[in-house]
Amino acid sequence: MKVNKDQIKKLFLSTMGFIFLLYVYFSFFLGPLNRSRDGMLLEIKDLQSKLDASKEQMNKAVKLEQQAKTSTGRFAALKALNPEGAPIAWFPPRVRAFFANQQVDKVVARLEGSTGFKPTELTGWMKYSWIIDLPQADYGTLGRAIAELENTAPLLSITKLSIHTLPEQSQFQHVGLAAVNIIEKK
Amino acid sequence: MALHLNLLHEEILEQRQRQRDPLKIGMIALVGCGVLLFLYYTWNAYRTLEIKSRLTTIERAWKKIEPGVTAAQKRVADLEGVIKTTRALDDYIDNRFFWAPVLQKVSRCVAPNTQLTNFEGAVQDENREIDVSLEGIAAGREPRSVAEDLRQMLLEQFHQSYSDVKAEFKTLEDLDTIVNVAGTHMATAHYILTVNFNPAAMPKPGESPAATRARKQ
Repeated sequence: MKVNKDQIKKLFLSTMGFIFLLYVYFSFFLGPLNRSRDGMLLEIKDLQSKLDASKEQMNKAVKLEQQAKTSTGRFAALKALNPEGAPIAWFPPRVRAFFANQQVDKVVARLEGSTGFKPTELTGWMKYSWIIDLPQADYGTLGRAIAELENTAPLLSITKLSIHTLPEQSQFQHVGLAAVNIIEKK
Repeated sequence: MALHLNLLHEEILEQRQRQRDPLKIGMIALVGCGVLLFLYYTWNAYRTLEIKSRLTTIERAWKKIEPGVTAAQKRVADLEGVIKTTRALDDYIDNRFFWAPVLQKVSRCVAPNTQLTNFEGAVQDENREIDVSLEGIAAGREPRSVAEDLRQMLLEQFHQSYSDVKAEFKTLEDLDTIVNVAGTHMATAHYILTVNFNPAAMPKPGESPAATRARKQ
């Protein structure tokens, strides 16, 4: 079989055309189709994993809700220990009233400063430092009052305590307390 | 032998050449490939459509439960935060140092012939150490031994509840003042005592680690 020059030219053109056709087919038809299919498969996988995880998440929430009953109750109780408003507004009168109930009068409380907490769990809470001055207290009454304060105010801790006798009234002592109270940020 | 004449020789040759035309064969091959490629594309398109319908179903299902899941996730995060915060607050509450028992112990140690004039107490290093300073006057025939009795009593009392207890005299000096205690004239001494201790209770001697573990369980 002899192939003449004209036929060779036609064959070459046909081959080129075929290659171009294949390029168009894979680049503009099959390629995008496959890409879209792969994208959809990935999306299905992602959604399926979310659906599977969602059941676990819902169960976890229900279980946690039951387990956390004690914690939520305790948390609410701790929050309720401190009233709304600026601590400087309510803490000094409350301390004065507390010690007055314990037969210790003329109590003065003043704010020294406030700092935040480093642990992330307590970022919503602040430490308020107070100086409480009890100019006239007797040792026994003071001991009972401090015991009552430590038992009834769990978020308050006394960091310094000083007791001095009063030269002119030996039955009384001058008492100074440095206390830290934890209060939720409002 | 009969003579066979082929008068259509040229026409037959031409027909054969037409049949073996490479251009024609190429075109047939091209069309065949085209059909195959079209079929392959159609099959792929069908699969894609099927996947798309699956995706739509799953998307619909997800849209239905998504608000619930988001709410559950938020609730879980909130609850975990509450649990952690409560635990941290409880740790803080449990690790507080209580001064009332210290005052009680001191009151138990002070005899009628010793007088306290100053008491200073401070919590050091995040409740790891407590420093107490006691200043006063001891009266007796030998006022220094009265002050030493007070130091011993303090050591004994504090050892019952705390660990690493140290009680030392910072100052102990005789005074010229004579005082009258219960009708008896007595010499006096001025003392400053420092007491340091760790608020964590000392483990009891008979307590073994195994027993502690069993109790914790």
